[in-house]
Amino acid sequence: MPTTGTNDKNAPSAGWGQRVLIGRDPRWTVLRIAILVVVSFVVSKFVLLPIRVQGISMEPTYKDHRVNFVNRLAYVFHEPRRGDVVAIRTSDEHIMYMKRIIGLPGETVAFHERHAIINGQALDEPYVKQSSDWERPTEPVGPDEYYVVGDNRSMDWDEHTQGRAKRERIVGKILL
Amino acid sequence: MKSGWVRVVGLVALAGLAFWGWRLLHPPPEQVIRKRLTALARAACISQGESQLARLASAQSLSGYFTPDVQITVDISGHSRQTWNGIDEVREAAIAAEATVSALKVQFFGINVTLGPDHKSAAVELTAEATSPGNKNIEVQELKVTMKKIKDDWLIRQVETVKTLR
Repeated sequence: MPTTGTNDKNAPSAGWGQRVLIGRDPRWTVLRIAILVVVSFVVSKFVLLPIRVQGISMEPTYKDHRVNFVNRLAYVFHEPRRGDVVAIRTSDEHIMYMKRIIGLPGETVAFHERHAIINGQALDEPYVKQSSDWERPTEPVGPDEYYVVGDNRSMDWDEHTQGRAKRERIVGKILL
Repeated sequence: MKSGWVRVVGLVALAGLAFWGWRLLHPPPEQVIRKRLTALARAACISQGESQLARLASAQSLSGYFTPDVQITVDISGHSRQTWNGIDEVREAAIAAEATVSALKVQFFGINVTLGPDHKSAAVELTAEATSPGNKNIEVQELKVTMKKIKDDWLIRQVETVKTLR
């Protein structure tokens, strides 16, 4: 019978396997598990929302089927910024769009000669690797809206979901 | 003293059980509507290799979820706006759609139900997800659904597409 590794003569003796599985004191182990479960639940519900990327509209920055997280606290102290990749909810947060913000409230957005045009100026977008044939007229972004689009501009315009998202629908910033 | 506590706990458990049983027999309308829409999504699924007759029967069964004067309006980017008026048009569209797809899986998520003041109508927001094998693209569409209670049955009166990104 192996020893428990404690000097307390009154402590119940436990085998090596039991010590590895449930620790020296099962009550503390249960408490630790309970704390871990609660912390994991709170973090995944209110801080870092786990997501799985589906689709090719954010390639090559984000590949299909990759796992990522949405930081829900990213916009507590400041509003979303240009270049941020954000999660936009649908009727709930089970399905969300993952898009990059290119247009801020009050700006105008157009697509011309392979470039996104913001307020008449071509936007420098190093994350866009494929060339685009999108030609879209100037569109104003409302005071409470953000213009979002994917990085994969090689897709057909009609197959690529993009447009103005209400601020209230932006759940948070993509973490990784 | 101990038996008193046991009695209290027993009574609370009995009350809980009675409440659970009552809720099971009389579910709230929101729950009935969610179940109804989930059943519709299941009915709209098409299995690979399903016979034409089975598909026809499936399309016919879909009409049981709608009011006779149902109106469905689909307005998505890249396609012209389309409206189906009445159950016959909806049934024909369902039959035509089922004939063109090899297989289809439909699921509804985020079903938010707002009951009308009369409790005879409800506004529902949901997100529909459609996937078909072999197609990497997942179709996601937010919908606004108006439902009406007719003879204890919640039926769909109106469906409109919602543009998440405008």
